[in-house]
Amino acid sequence: MATTHEQIDEMLAADLHDELTATERVEFHAHLVECAECRQAFQEGKNMNRILNEIMADKRADAGFEQRMVSRFRDRVPKRAGLIGLVTDLLRVRAVQLTAAAAILLALAQMGRMITGESASPKLRDEDSATMLENASGVDKAGATRDAGVFAKTDDRLKALSPVTQNAPPPSPPLDAVTSTVPKPRTEMVAGLTKTKKSEFKDEKAPASAAETTAETPAEPSASPSSVGPTANRKLIRNATAELEVASFDDSIQKVTAFASEEKGYVATTSSEKQENGKLRGEIVVKVLPDNLDRFLGKLRGIGDLKNQALTTEDVTKAYFDTESRLKNARLMEQRLIEILKTKSKDVADLLEVEKELGRVREQIETMQGELKFMDSQVAFATVTITLAEKNMNIPAAFLLKEKAQLSLYATEVEKTYNEIKALASPKVQITNAQIDRDNTGRVSARLSLLLAPEESEAVIARIKGMARVENFQVQTDRVSQGGDGLGENAKTERDKVELNITLSRDEQEIALQQTSLRIQTPEVNDKAKQLRAIAEQQNGRIRSSSFSRDTNGREYANVSLRVPMKNYNALIQSLNGLGNVENVSVRRDDRPDSQVDEANAPADVSIQVYSQGNIVSEETGIWATLRRTIGQGAAALMWSVRMIGVAVAFLAPWALIIGAVGWVARRVSRARTARKQAADQEAGRS
Amino acid sequence: MDSSEHAIYRAAIQGDRDAFEIVIRSVSRNLFAIAYGILQNREEAEDVVQDTLVKAWKSRWRVRDSDKLPAWLSSVARHRARDLARKRRPEPLPEAFEADEVVEFESAGQKADLDGEVRSALAQLPELHRVALTLRYFEELDYGTIEKTLGLTNGALRGILGRALGLMRKRLKPALASTG
Repeated sequence: MATTHEQIDEMLAADLHDELTATERVEFHAHLVECAECRQAFQEGKNMNRILNEIMADKRADAGFEQRMVSRFRDRVPKRAGLIGLVTDLLRVRAVQLTAAAAILLALAQMGRMITGESASPKLRDEDSATMLENASGVDKAGATRDAGVFAKTDDRLKALSPVTQNAPPPSPPLDAVTSTVPKPRTEMVAGLTKTKKSEFKDEKAPASAAETTAETPAEPSASPSSVGPTANRKLIRNATAELEVASFDDSIQKVTAFASEEKGYVATTSSEKQENGKLRGEIVVKVLPDNLDRFLGKLRGIGDLKNQALTTEDVTKAYFDTESRLKNARLMEQRLIEILKTKSKDVADLLEVEKELGRVREQIETMQGELKFMDSQVAFATVTITLAEKNMNIPAAFLLKEKAQLSLYATEVEKTYNEIKALASPKVQITNAQIDRDNTGRVSARLSLLLAPEESEAVIARIKGMARVENFQVQTDRVSQGGDGLGENAKTERDKVELNITLSRDEQEIALQQTSLRIQTPEVNDKAKQLRAIAEQQNGRIRSSSFSRDTNGREYANVSLRVPMKNYNALIQSLNGLGNVENVSVRRDDRPDSQVDEANAPADVSIQVYSQGNIVSEETGIWATLRRTIGQGAAALMWSVRMIGVAVAFLAPWALIIGAVGWVARRVSRARTARKQAADQEAGRS
Repeated sequence: MDSSEHAIYRAAIQGDRDAFEIVIRSVSRNLFAIAYGILQNREEAEDVVQDTLVKAWKSRWRVRDSDKLPAWLSSVARHRARDLARKRRPEPLPEAFEADEVVEFESAGQKADLDGEVRSALAQLPELHRVALTLRYFEELDYGTIEKTLGLTNGALRGILGRALGLMRKRLKPALASTG
């Protein structure tokens, strides 16, 4: 056995390992009997097998090996707890990885869209969709007229669009009925009949339905007047509009009528209305022969000031001839139907159907004739729409004097004054609005609106002025003309009720006319401050605020601010000199030339600092100050840098994350690839 | 492979630790045999098995066909063992010399040293042959299982083992003859 002999190693090993099949074993042992060399090999092999078994026996893994492996595995790979474990485990599943990648891509795309401001879903342009709809319905319509049984289901939209389908009999027997009456070989199957019939109908009705659509086109110009001249076979509708300003509306209408008849035209409509100012304004529509249109417009300019003029021309040639040819087709159809009616009348139902169809076609014909006629009329005459307005030469019939007064007052006690004003109410003094406001800082202000009878107004205003100090008073008088066609100089003037708006606020809120600040140096701050109060009292002043403080160096400060009437100001300043050494006087005066100021009573603010001598050293020098400043600046710099780091992180972190994620995915992919490649290499190397 | 095994492999890949521990119990001996076959050192082999299991757990998502999990584990173990062998014995030549020396020396010597001869003959076998032999003699697995474990194609093992035994037999011929 040559093969066994050649493969002795293999067979030998398999035999020793009990992996030979029965036949192989028989063959192998038979060969051993025959071949001494192989017998020798067999002997050696058996020996080696025994030795290997002995050697390996004490090297193989011990009994506790598996348990050891498991427990060490447990030690080295602690169970991940809760959500993190779940998420990481999930992320290992390929489907989840793919989904996550897709989600991230989508999110990025969305973000990009948001940044560039595109809308998320591509917008279908309205016109487009409308057109598509139109087309669809067009197809549908054609189908409807062609197909049996569809007569019944013309939708409302189609009805509105087409007079043809509109008039189609709602409950319809299948077209087959008609079909069967058509002159065709009777032997043909019904289906075949239907088919041929359909194709016939197609010829005639498709244009018919098209006619319906074009019917709309000529209908449009009817809205805006037009005229067409027979310009070398072109069907042109000419429209013109003109706006004119004229002295007299009626005269102008006469002139326009005259011009129109000169140019072989006529006045179609006129309309006019009287406006608020008594002027007339109106519109005339004139029809003239198109050829004379330009001349007519030229003449029109003569009757007044032309304010604007527009000339439009619309070419309806195509629509016109389309309709015309459709009309021809429809007439042919009519003829044929009549023939059918005459010759092939058999079944009553068929007859009815043909009759209906005939009615429909005739209706169509009429519609188209109407369209053509309309277009002809539009083309035959040009339409000129003239707007005439009378010039403004209006003289009022009467004048009304409207007085509006604004009064701002300062009162020591706002509420009291407010009530006093309210008490003035009488038939001649109407209070239309009164409100008092108190804000959260305790400031009070009030507003009142009054309507005063003209004869009483001056007296009332004077009284109110006497109640408090006037900050501001303004009167505005409007002369309002009334009526249109006036009497000129003779127009009488009437006084209307006087509207008076009052604002009341506490005088403390008033800005002082003059503001003074000064310092007084004295050893006894407290005493002098008391004296100061006494002086203020004498001069009719009011203390608005005062404070006293003593600092760590023993220096004392008293700050007093007070308000006196201007008339007492000088006396006050004089008496201050007696208190001590007056220094740092500064005065600011607000001059308000535009308002009527009661100078003597206007307030003047004086703020006084009484202080005792001290060693006044600037706080901003010396080692401590420097140190403090340095630390402060350092802290500010630190805060600033923290902020900058925050900005930088916000700027970079998303990118770092994205790059990291991409890198991670790439690494994973490449690792997987190398692993696969290695495995493949190995396999190849092994085999 | 029956369906329960299949289910366990799948669960292990999807992160079921209990399933993975079952897998550990079923394959770790084989892995040890493989590692030992390459390294010829029990401690190192055990470390390799340990590392293999941990690493395999962490990158188990790379296994697409769950049926091939054992084969994949074997290949991981082989790679690790080979890496380790390369690292610890950067020069395989001296060992070969040594082995030859031993063979020569011992072929003249006593029969008791036959073990050593066999071992060094083993060491000179190609790695795959050595691994196959170890698997066979350690675990007495049938050829089919060994082929599956090592990712070999059907029937290839017979040739490999035959060649391995043949090579060893020829190398040890004098000794074996005398023992016979």
